[in-house]
Amino acid sequence: MIGRGEQALNYAILLLFSVIALYPIVGIVLTALAPPGELVGFGIPSSLHLENFSNAWDEGHFSTYLRSSVIVAVAVVSASTVLSILAGYAFGTMRFRGATAGFYVFLLGLMVPQEALVVPLYFDLRRLELTDTYWALILPQVALSVAFGTFWMRAFFLATPRSLLEAARIDGASSWTTLWRVLVPFGRPAILTMMVLVFMWTWNEFLLALVMVSSENLRTAPLGLAFFQGQHTSDLSLLAAGAVIVATPVVLVYVFLQRHFIRGMLSGAVKG
Amino acid sequence: MEGVWGNREVPPATPALPASAALAPRKPGVAEAPPGEPRHVGYLYLLPALGVYAAFVLWPLGHTVWLSLHQWDGLTPATWVGLDNYREIVESGPLRSAFVHSLVLILFYAVIPVTLGLVLVAALSRAQVRGQAVFRTILFLPLVIPMVVVAVIWRMIYEPQNGSLNELLRAVGLDSLTRPWLGDFGLALPAVGVVGTWVMTGLALVLFMAGVQRIPQSLYDAARVDGAGAVREFFAVTLPNLRGEIAVALTLTTIAALRNFDLVYLTTQGGPGDATSVPAFQVYNRAFQVGQVGSAAAIGFSLACVIFLFSFLITRISERER
Amino acid sequence: MASVTYDRATRAFGSTVAVSELSLEIADGEFMVLVGPSGSGKTTALRLLAGLEPLTAGHVRIGERVVDDVAPRERDIAMVFQDYALYPQMSVRQNLAFGLRIRKLSRAEIDRRVERAAEMLGIGPLLERKPRQLSGGQRQRVALGRALVRDPQVFLMDEPLSNLDAQLRAQTRGEIRRLQREVGTTTVYVTHDQVEAMTMGDRIAILRDGLLEQVGAPDDVYAEPANTFVAGFIGSPAMGLTRAGVERNGGASRLVLGDLRLELGDVRELPAEVVVGVRPEHTRPWDGDGGLIGPIDGRVEFTESLGRETLVGVAAPGDSRFVVAIDGLAHLEPGSSLRFGLRRGWLYVFDAADERALGRV
Repeated sequence: MIGRGEQALNYAILLLFSVIALYPIVGIVLTALAPPGELVGFGIPSSLHLENFSNAWDEGHFSTYLRSSVIVAVAVVSASTVLSILAGYAFGTMRFRGATAGFYVFLLGLMVPQEALVVPLYFDLRRLELTDTYWALILPQVALSVAFGTFWMRAFFLATPRSLLEAARIDGASSWTTLWRVLVPFGRPAILTMMVLVFMWTWNEFLLALVMVSSENLRTAPLGLAFFQGQHTSDLSLLAAGAVIVATPVVLVYVFLQRHFIRGMLSGAVKG
Repeated sequence: MEGVWGNREVPPATPALPASAALAPRKPGVAEAPPGEPRHVGYLYLLPALGVYAAFVLWPLGHTVWLSLHQWDGLTPATWVGLDNYREIVESGPLRSAFVHSLVLILFYAVIPVTLGLVLVAALSRAQVRGQAVFRTILFLPLVIPMVVVAVIWRMIYEPQNGSLNELLRAVGLDSLTRPWLGDFGLALPAVGVVGTWVMTGLALVLFMAGVQRIPQSLYDAARVDGAGAVREFFAVTLPNLRGEIAVALTLTTIAALRNFDLVYLTTQGGPGDATSVPAFQVYNRAFQVGQVGSAAAIGFSLACVIFLFSFLITRISERER
Repeated sequence: MASVTYDRATRAFGSTVAVSELSLEIADGEFMVLVGPSGSGKTTALRLLAGLEPLTAGHVRIGERVVDDVAPRERDIAMVFQDYALYPQMSVRQNLAFGLRIRKLSRAEIDRRVERAAEMLGIGPLLERKPRQLSGGQRQRVALGRALVRDPQVFLMDEPLSNLDAQLRAQTRGEIRRLQREVGTTTVYVTHDQVEAMTMGDRIAILRDGLLEQVGAPDDVYAEPANTFVAGFIGSPAMGLTRAGVERNGGASRLVLGDLRLELGDVRELPAEVVVGVRPEHTRPWDGDGGLIGPIDGRVEFTESLGRETLVGVAAPGDSRFVVAIDGLAHLEPGSSLRFGLRRGWLYVFDAADERALGRV
């Protein structure tokens, strides 16, 4: 039985660290709400200056940046989800020559950092005149997400009872039918977790965008924020508003689906 | 006595089959698959994912190695230099210190959060706290926010004039301790490290909390019966059973430390001087700003190898002591 | 509706042989039970018929058709799995209809079959539910229903009752048999439970270590087991088996248990080393009756009271063991002595060397 004292200690510890975790975040939100030039430190603003957000949105072009991020994120999540389901299905349910070796090849992708890949990617894509396009952002991220996704979906398919697959086979279902009509509906939680993680990684991606994108229209949100910081070193509340705008979508997705996020991370996703 | 009976019902080999029904074993190898089981179609399912992956991960990886053996400015033709770029990493001051800085960051990103997490988990009683989900959500939040936003926030915090940190110090009368944190040669790297600690501690804590709750109470009871106190309990029961979680936490945090780019780019740009230079930043800098593409590739590939090495070591150590 | 033939069917994994040259003919409409301990190959034999395992050698025929290389979907079979394997995200109706929709049956025909199966199995009210909302027994019926609607040539059942509690199992046994008689489809049924086999099968096939030990009607296998394994496996309570010697004395033979000699009368030549078996119901405490072989003096080792009779485990001369049945409740202390006899004509004799049955004395 847990005593009163123990419980109080628990709450105290958790509360302390929650405050530490929240303090900078709350601070930036407060800064974003403050009239320009007023704030010192992370104090409470005298009045709520919501125009900061609309200013950041228009003058700061964050509407463009968000749109770009959304396009890239949606494309990457959709493509990598479908491809990962297909590949994971093959690895998880079928026996064919080279299956194990093939899987290890994908596993490699979980460890390879982007930093080792951006350099040749840039120069190769430049030669193909694909830099500064959405393709330059979408395709490499699909490739990296597929490494994780295949690993994830394979684990799910391996855990499916063989008898379910055999029953479908006896009923006459082809491998395609079995996948989409029997297994995928069954795997919604696992698939959703994967989608949520890939969304987060894609939305937060910075280095790739920095390297590939030069025109302003294509800037994804994190990249846009970096540029914004370079330009508006003095107007902190505007910068803070921009930061909040950039972080909000992914935080919202997180808050509503946090069960899936945490489950995914706790399952030992290797990719940072 | 009753007559003898035996396997009366077993029919002789059925004569109705065609002559080719001699019982040679069927084609070996192929015989392993039951009829109708999907086999070669597996390659088709694999193809799209493999295609994209090969084109945008495997090919660039090979290309990185190729580039790392050359000297190239990105525009004019490249020259072969063999392992010179790698030699430079080991010998040259700036590059060596970049990797050393990474090790320092590992301390802040991985060692401290994991240790903190373990200490806290030892202090927490194992029973479920009400509202646990809320705490977990909050503690995980720093990991979810884009690193760019984290950088913006902490740059504000570290700002010498108006930043939150110095303001706090002034407020409690410790004016003398205020510093230009990110501009100080000695303090910039730890300052960056602290940001990493802030981000990663939540991960370690949540991971360990979840892991501890999975340990069966009977193990603790047995230890208590054996006369173990709280400290003993921790080392004898909690720690060994968290081995998996510790390995995961260390792997994730170490990789995050080694790959650190966004934070350095947006807070210090590697400065002041070279104080916060890290390998990932050097990759970017050399490839896209100073035209040393070969060197950048070498650094990138070395980084990949270091990451692989760390992951491998952590896994080996955690599994060996099982 | 079709017969099933295993023709020297073999399934080997590398050097392990799961099913070894199984030859078995199952008649059209017959309910054949494959029974044996775990690892006997019975499930593998079933899966060979289903097409879920590839044949290493030999053939399998459904009707006249050789189906060795035919995919399961083309074999016109339906299977009930041990864990039911219901499609988790579909309703019961959709589960039943799935195989039919793939075969492009008309909507009307599908509905007709689903309704009919639901009625036969009493799962009408469950049609719109999902599997996770059903009890184990209900899921089992749905699994049966899925096989029923397909109206195949052969039903295959892989231990469908083993996940049910004992009472439900007994009840469902009868229902499955009743259903099968009603539709008349050839059925191959796998179980490890010999009681199930004996009560359900038209014929039973006993397998051990991939080999067919015996096949026949339950009564025949019970009364005339082909070897010691079948003798000890079939029948409950189990037959007691024990080693003994044989001596010839002129024209007559005698059974040798240690120092004890039992006259067997005028029987044919028996080997010197035998295994004898006798079912507890064919033993009694000694009453001097001429219909008993004995007397045998033994020492009580354990007793098991079944209410209407008591089984007494007895150690007898020559290191032999017997299980004696005594009517009603008998209170015997372990260590006490018991004199008993074996009913003449019901002592099974097996060759000690190859375990084959030699006859009854």
